[in-house]
Amino acid sequence: MRPGFRGKIYLGFFSLLLIQGLVIFLWVSQVMKDALLEEIKTREISIGMNLSARMVEPILAMDFLRMNVLIDETVQLGDDIFYAFVLDKTGNPLIHTFKEGFPVALKTANTVSDTQKGSMQLLDTGKHLIYDYAVPVFINDNRLGTLRLGFFQTRVEKAVQKTMITAVIILILTILVACVVVAFLLNPVTKSIQKLHDSSEQALRGNLDVRTAPMLEKNCWDIMQCHRKECPAYKNYHHRCWYLAGTLCPTCVEGEFAKKIDSCRQCKVHKKCSGDEVQSLAESFDAMTLSLKGNLSELKSAERVLNEQKALLQTILDAIPDFISLQDHDGRYISVNRAFCEMLGKNKEEIVGKGNEDLFSKAQADRYNKEDKRVLETSVPLVKENRIAGQKGIKWLHVVKIPVLEAKDRVRGLVCGGRDITQLKAVQQQLTHAQKMESVGRLAAGVAHEINTPLGIILGYAQLLLEDVETDGPIYKDVTTIVKQTKICSKIVADLLKFSRSSESIISEFDIHDALEEVLGVVEHTFGLNHVQIKRVYTENRLRMKGDKEKLKQVFVNLLNNAFDAIGENGSISIHTGFGRTPDEIKISISDTGHGIVKENLIKIFEPFYTTKAPDKGTGLGLSVTFGIIKEHKGTINVFSPPLSGEGEEQGTQFIVVLPSGLNTKKGDLNGEHSRTG
Amino acid sequence: MHKGVLNVKYRWGVWLFFFLFLGCGDDESAIPVDLTITEQVILKEELGVVTYAYLPQYSHTVSHTRHHALVQYLRKETGLNIKQIFPDTFDQHMKMVGQEKIDISYSNPFIYVKLAHRYGARAFARIVEGMGKDQFRGQIICRKDHPTIQTIGDCRHKRWIAVDSTSAGGYLYPLGHFMDHGIQRTDFKEIAFAPGPGGKQEKVILSVYAGKYDIGTIREGSLDVVSGRIDINKIRIISVTDPYPGWVYAARKNLDKKSVEKLTQAFGKLDFNHKPHREILEAANFIRVIASVDSDFDAVRQLTAKVGLSLDE
Repeated sequence: MRPGFRGKIYLGFFSLLLIQGLVIFLWVSQVMKDALLEEIKTREISIGMNLSARMVEPILAMDFLRMNVLIDETVQLGDDIFYAFVLDKTGNPLIHTFKEGFPVALKTANTVSDTQKGSMQLLDTGKHLIYDYAVPVFINDNRLGTLRLGFFQTRVEKAVQKTMITAVIILILTILVACVVVAFLLNPVTKSIQKLHDSSEQALRGNLDVRTAPMLEKNCWDIMQCHRKECPAYKNYHHRCWYLAGTLCPTCVEGEFAKKIDSCRQCKVHKKCSGDEVQSLAESFDAMTLSLKGNLSELKSAERVLNEQKALLQTILDAIPDFISLQDHDGRYISVNRAFCEMLGKNKEEIVGKGNEDLFSKAQADRYNKEDKRVLETSVPLVKENRIAGQKGIKWLHVVKIPVLEAKDRVRGLVCGGRDITQLKAVQQQLTHAQKMESVGRLAAGVAHEINTPLGIILGYAQLLLEDVETDGPIYKDVTTIVKQTKICSKIVADLLKFSRSSESIISEFDIHDALEEVLGVVEHTFGLNHVQIKRVYTENRLRMKGDKEKLKQVFVNLLNNAFDAIGENGSISIHTGFGRTPDEIKISISDTGHGIVKENLIKIFEPFYTTKAPDKGTGLGLSVTFGIIKEHKGTINVFSPPLSGEGEEQGTQFIVVLPSGLNTKKGDLNGEHSRTG
Repeated sequence: MHKGVLNVKYRWGVWLFFFLFLGCGDDESAIPVDLTITEQVILKEELGVVTYAYLPQYSHTVSHTRHHALVQYLRKETGLNIKQIFPDTFDQHMKMVGQEKIDISYSNPFIYVKLAHRYGARAFARIVEGMGKDQFRGQIICRKDHPTIQTIGDCRHKRWIAVDSTSAGGYLYPLGHFMDHGIQRTDFKEIAFAPGPGGKQEKVILSVYAGKYDIGTIREGSLDVVSGRIDINKIRIISVTDPYPGWVYAARKNLDKKSVEKLTQAFGKLDFNHKPHREILEAANFIRVIASVDSDFDAVRQLTAKVGLSLDE
């Protein structure tokens, strides 16, 4: 386990003191041993010299008692003096301190000449090491003898040993005292660091309400004698005022820590309250977490707003029927809306992060990638219409690709917006068709108007001619044919004139049921002969309206004849009446059980001269005339094949005519519509 | 690699310890000695020795210093095995003369008259001190700054320290001098003698110098001996006694006459003008030794009688 900060400090101090102690212990002890030896030698020399001087008179007087007293006193000076003795001029002992006799070997163990002040020699007795010091006893230049002193070297060892023990005790005590002192000094630091560590962990876990620094003891409001409760530092026992923004001291500079700290350092509050580096670190950490908390709160608020905006934007984007996508510079989809997802039949997660090649066929993807690349490179928006042929038919999409500029000359990505304009295209086609029909109608009206007069002349002269020729002659038959065909032409011309509204309308108020019944009274018998039944499902209300009754009757005749032709034999024609979405609208539905109309033909049935009947059966103008009459009455006509569900028929065709009653409508507001549904 | 890095990292520590403890060694060699073989110390008395003793007026060292060369000269000149010995006290000196342990006694005249009276010693030579005087005097001293002592008469009722009761210049002569001035022994507040063996002249001077005693009596010339140890200018000589015969060489009773003769001749040969002799004589603090007889010291015997001292005490 790695030691902590406190452990390292303790270990460092302990090691340092131990090394220091060992160095002192070993080195100083050696130095001390040498010094002690030197001191012993010096002492020995001193004692020897002194005793030598004092020994002169006893030697002169041959006063053995005094000599004995002197050497005994000398030996008793310390435990370390082993022996003392005096040799005469001839080297024979005069007096000595050995109780068991004088050791002969000592006589010559250490000699000193007359020219020497003394001689030191280490002797080994087998038990002890002895420093033997020989000093000559002189009186003037006459040598009286030699004084010899023996000192135990073991005293040095004992002294060194004592010193060693003392040094070890001092070392241990020093280490203990140092540990106590270090602990005393280090504890607040390590506690603060531990607290900082805990606080930083808390902060990392998201808890920014940390209190690392101790409670403040000196407070700015006391020092400044301030009572402004609105100041953020007032009664704030956890943060120093110089870390807080918006403090109200007159000397305070506005702004946060970075702006005000230079000013605050001059303040007496800062001078009195600022602590050591560790306390400052803890206080600044608290201030930092406080600031971080505030910033995080703002960030969260901004994030919440951003998320709301994002959700709102996504909702809006999803609500938009147009598909929208955002791609990055590499063509990867970053964001799409619901319409885009629905168009591709995938969910959002399956699209985001993918490229065109992951979502479209290779050919499409290549085409789209080229388009995207061009937009990204040129920064020129792309607008186009795509025609897409699928299983559900042909779709038209209006697509816009706009570059998203990150910088002035750098494209970050592109936004692609698209709209399904299939219906618009259909309406455009219908509009084109209507314009064409109108042109045709105008043309037909002009032609019919010009032809009608010569045709009437032909018919009149033909009928006059028919009166002049014999009925059984061959000319009569030919003229009859001319009359017949001329009448057919007149009929065509009349229909053309009706289609082009060129005929006059007679507006009256009538009940639509009456008009229907008048028509049914003519055709019902004929239909019945072919087993085609008429089912009347009339509303009980009277459906009165203003309009050209005759023209509307023509409408019903055309629709009923088409129904009958579609049935042929054995079928039924249902007629439903009622109000439309409002009581001002009248709705008439005529449905049959006939063979119906194929989907492709539904769009063409209102075109002039379009017919599925045999050439002699229809002119192709019936439904065109019907459309024209309905349009003239500002109504609508819709065709469904098969009929709408709920009508009870699985095949056949249903025409639904909706006419404004005109009772509450001003004249001239009528505007016809038609539509087809297959 | 890691191990190598560690080795490099900690190598400095090894070197540090190596250098730190480099000096920790002890290479002093010892000579082996056997203390078990012993002998008893027995002093053998030397035969045919003529002992020479200087009355322990001063310390043995001074005595040795003064007379060692003279003794060596006498040994050489007489052919006698002369050896200087050092009795500790005047009494011991006198007793050793009586015990014949001292053959040649060099003493003051007062001791001599006692030796002659008690042990039959006979004078055969006496010295001539500097300035050619064959006599010497005693001195009465006090501290120069003593508040009450100006003249010899002021010494009455004072504390007196003398060299020794057997001292001539240090006691006998001053006592006679006091009595000549009407001051009896009983007139002093205290009469003390210098303690211990040897060095008595110095002790008297030092006691006065220290203020322990008001006055002291010494032989003439003693102040020069202590001039190196104290400031003798702070000592005042109150009075000086009459001169009496100087120091004397006496032979113990029964010392053979030949030896005495040889000695007398050797002393007579000492010539102050001869450089080797001058060194001997200067060390001994006299300039010549002349022959003497016992009657030369009758003045001392008379003075002793005058002051009421007994030669038997």
